[in-house]
Amino acid sequence: MLFNSVIFITAFLPLALLGWFLLQKLEDPAWAKAFLIGMSFWFYGYYNVSYLWILLVSLAGNYAFSFLLHRIRGGGFRRGLFACGVLGNLGLLFYFKYFNFFIDNCNFLLHTDISLEKIALPLGISFFTFQQMSFLIERYRGNAPHYPLLDYVFFVSFFPQLIAGPIVLHSELVPQLQGRQNRRFSPEGFYDGATLFILGLAKKVLLADSLAVLVNAEYDNIAMLDTPTAWIVIVWYMMELYFDFSGYCDMARGIAAMFGFRLPENFDSPFKAASVREFWRRWHMTLSRFLSQYVYLPLGGNRKGKRRQILNLLAVFLVSGLWHGANWTFVLWGLMHGLAAAFETAFPRARFRHEWMNRAATAVFVTLSFSVFRSDSLESAALLWRRLFTAGSQGKLLGVCNTLVFPENYALRKLLDMAAPGLTNGLFLSCFLLLTAVGAALLAGGKAEAWIEKKGHTLGGAFCLATLFTWAFLSLSQVSVFLYFNF
Amino acid sequence: MDGNRKKGLRRLLLFIAAEFLLVALIVWLFDPFYQYHSPFFGMEAVLNDRDNQMPGTVRNFSYDSVLVGSSVAENFDSSFLDGTYGCRTLKVIRASGSVADLLYYLEMAQERGELRNVFWCLDIPALEASTEVTLRGGDTPGYLHTASILDDLPYLFNKEILLERIPAMLAYSRAGINTGGHAYDWSRGKEFGAAQAMRAYDRAGIVLEGEPQDRDFTDKKGLIGDNVALLTEQVSSHPETTYRFLIPPFSMLWWDCAYVNGELEERFYALDSAATALLRFENVEVYCFQQEDWIVCDLDNYMDMVHYGPEVNQYMLERMAACGNRVEPEDWEAVLAQLRELARRISQEEIYRYYP
Repeated sequence: MLFNSVIFITAFLPLALLGWFLLQKLEDPAWAKAFLIGMSFWFYGYYNVSYLWILLVSLAGNYAFSFLLHRIRGGGFRRGLFACGVLGNLGLLFYFKYFNFFIDNCNFLLHTDISLEKIALPLGISFFTFQQMSFLIERYRGNAPHYPLLDYVFFVSFFPQLIAGPIVLHSELVPQLQGRQNRRFSPEGFYDGATLFILGLAKKVLLADSLAVLVNAEYDNIAMLDTPTAWIVIVWYMMELYFDFSGYCDMARGIAAMFGFRLPENFDSPFKAASVREFWRRWHMTLSRFLSQYVYLPLGGNRKGKRRQILNLLAVFLVSGLWHGANWTFVLWGLMHGLAAAFETAFPRARFRHEWMNRAATAVFVTLSFSVFRSDSLESAALLWRRLFTAGSQGKLLGVCNTLVFPENYALRKLLDMAAPGLTNGLFLSCFLLLTAVGAALLAGGKAEAWIEKKGHTLGGAFCLATLFTWAFLSLSQVSVFLYFNF
Repeated sequence: MDGNRKKGLRRLLLFIAAEFLLVALIVWLFDPFYQYHSPFFGMEAVLNDRDNQMPGTVRNFSYDSVLVGSSVAENFDSSFLDGTYGCRTLKVIRASGSVADLLYYLEMAQERGELRNVFWCLDIPALEASTEVTLRGGDTPGYLHTASILDDLPYLFNKEILLERIPAMLAYSRAGINTGGHAYDWSRGKEFGAAQAMRAYDRAGIVLEGEPQDRDFTDKKGLIGDNVALLTEQVSSHPETTYRFLIPPFSMLWWDCAYVNGELEERFYALDSAATALLRFENVEVYCFQQEDWIVCDLDNYMDMVHYGPEVNQYMLERMAACGNRVEPEDWEAVLAQLRELARRISQEEIYRYYP
């Protein structure tokens, strides 16, 4: 189920909230937990029930390993058990996400003809697998207790964070679940959650989906782009991805807050970063945290000299690239970030004098690298880069802007078509400039929560938020899919 | 601070409720799919989106007769029927002309009361269409086919309805497009002519080696029989209604295509089965236009293999009103023979006027 769907907003969410808080009136919180787990399973299996089986197998396996780690103390057997648990998680991920990629490359390299399997990628498998792996590692290290079954299943399957993160640690969610503070409905918490949800919904539906209209049309048409339009497309994609994923995370955090839970932040004004390493402290922060804690630090981090640190950084970013998808474009994208982070580590003084120049250079690098991330193949990425740097200017801006056909500009379009056809291009150009300006202003501006805190309760603020919600809700008839579901 | 949040929540919920109410009221008032009522304020109904508007109009409009058919029936001026037969006619269209789909609408209309007239433009290919109703499920919004308001959220709160359909409806109403008898008329701005029609049929690319053999269509006979049975069941269960079936004139391109694909006998079988069965009923009149060679063989009347211009639609209505082209049961064999002769002439002579 999508957060940005009529059924979720009008039926699923109200029902889940009502059931959760009504069942909290019972003395035993297990009923409420079980209810919300059931709702989470409905949420997850809404489009494809078979995905639910994979989630259930993963949950059962990890819980069993946690139980066994609880029973067995010390010794090689425990280490072996832990290794089996980690390999089991990686195996599940490998089969569903990377098996065909692996076979495809084997066929290419070894000139074999092994047929590919028909494997559907379950929603959010990377997220719930990493989340459970982190738990297993902490269990092995002795930093996490063996939780009661309901608490563990709730921790993994809690629907706001189930399919696209943020990647929540057990220590962040389970104590909240076990505490008593979220057992009573709080209008204040509901307000915080609802306003954050509205902002996230607006980011996703009104901004990201509008930007996607141009981006999707032109990514299918790379060969026809000239240099200026190719740059427009990659900048718009960068904005689309940010508003899409950060909008999703805002919605996830907002929904969790309505239930009385706090989820970790995933974005912190990433385009204010003055280096690639800083960018990763601000972008998809919970993934960076996971990779830092469970890949970078175990490899030695920065404790074993600069050369080793650089190798560790490269390894982390390669893992990050592969985690995002089974395609060489993701590997190259990870490698680019790894090399940039390695460069910054090796030459910390190689920086511009002015901070704004470092920010601009970082933004340009990140935008260029994400153009590879969005490409279907290395060939189309290479073609796009040729258009970015060698295609020259062929006056294609208006042609690109003409894809911006929305219900919002329908009446004006039709009016101009009849009364002044020559001005129609001007309308499309205005839409392009408006969307670019709004996107840029939001990227450069402060955090939305600060605005809500200050203005949300005023008449004007409440009206703005309500209008954003109404406008976004009216837009839900448009079909859209979250970009981060496939990772 | 908590007080501010409580105040903020109250205001937020109040504004959301007010805005939703306003949007729902606007959509309900203008109701571009006619889900709740026929037009208010003396506005003329604008009918230009058949699949979305059909269920609502059948449920909520005032009429006593229907004109049913496929896209070739859309350019009929139904007000001519109103004037001629003294009735109020609603167009009921399904692009494919599928008998089962059209009967779905027809039965919906008959639930409101008996109809006086059914004018049915019966396509030959429709007799080989599936006998399952295909109107529900798939991408079709469920709310269209239910009278309940509970599933109407995607209609009441839809940006496209509010910002596209309602303004377009107001503009079309003001300009008099797709209003009155010209519901669903798509002929405006379309190009009819031989060059346009021939683009739809690559006769020059077909190399015939000898006379095409007629294909065995035994497996289709069951389906044709089922469709004919659906029609006769409808006709026999509403004896007070007069059914006027019009067999439209598909172009010679369509007939030649059937010839080169070895489907001529199949087409004749379908047509013969339907006409023979329908002509047995007293409340049925059949009007055949397929043998009108001056229409069929002049591609300037068409924009593709089957779609003719509105002049042909009007000619059909006028002939029907004058009882011209009516086929009596005893005449049917002669008409069929005439059609066979025309089909032969098309594939042997007429087609070479355009594809030498």
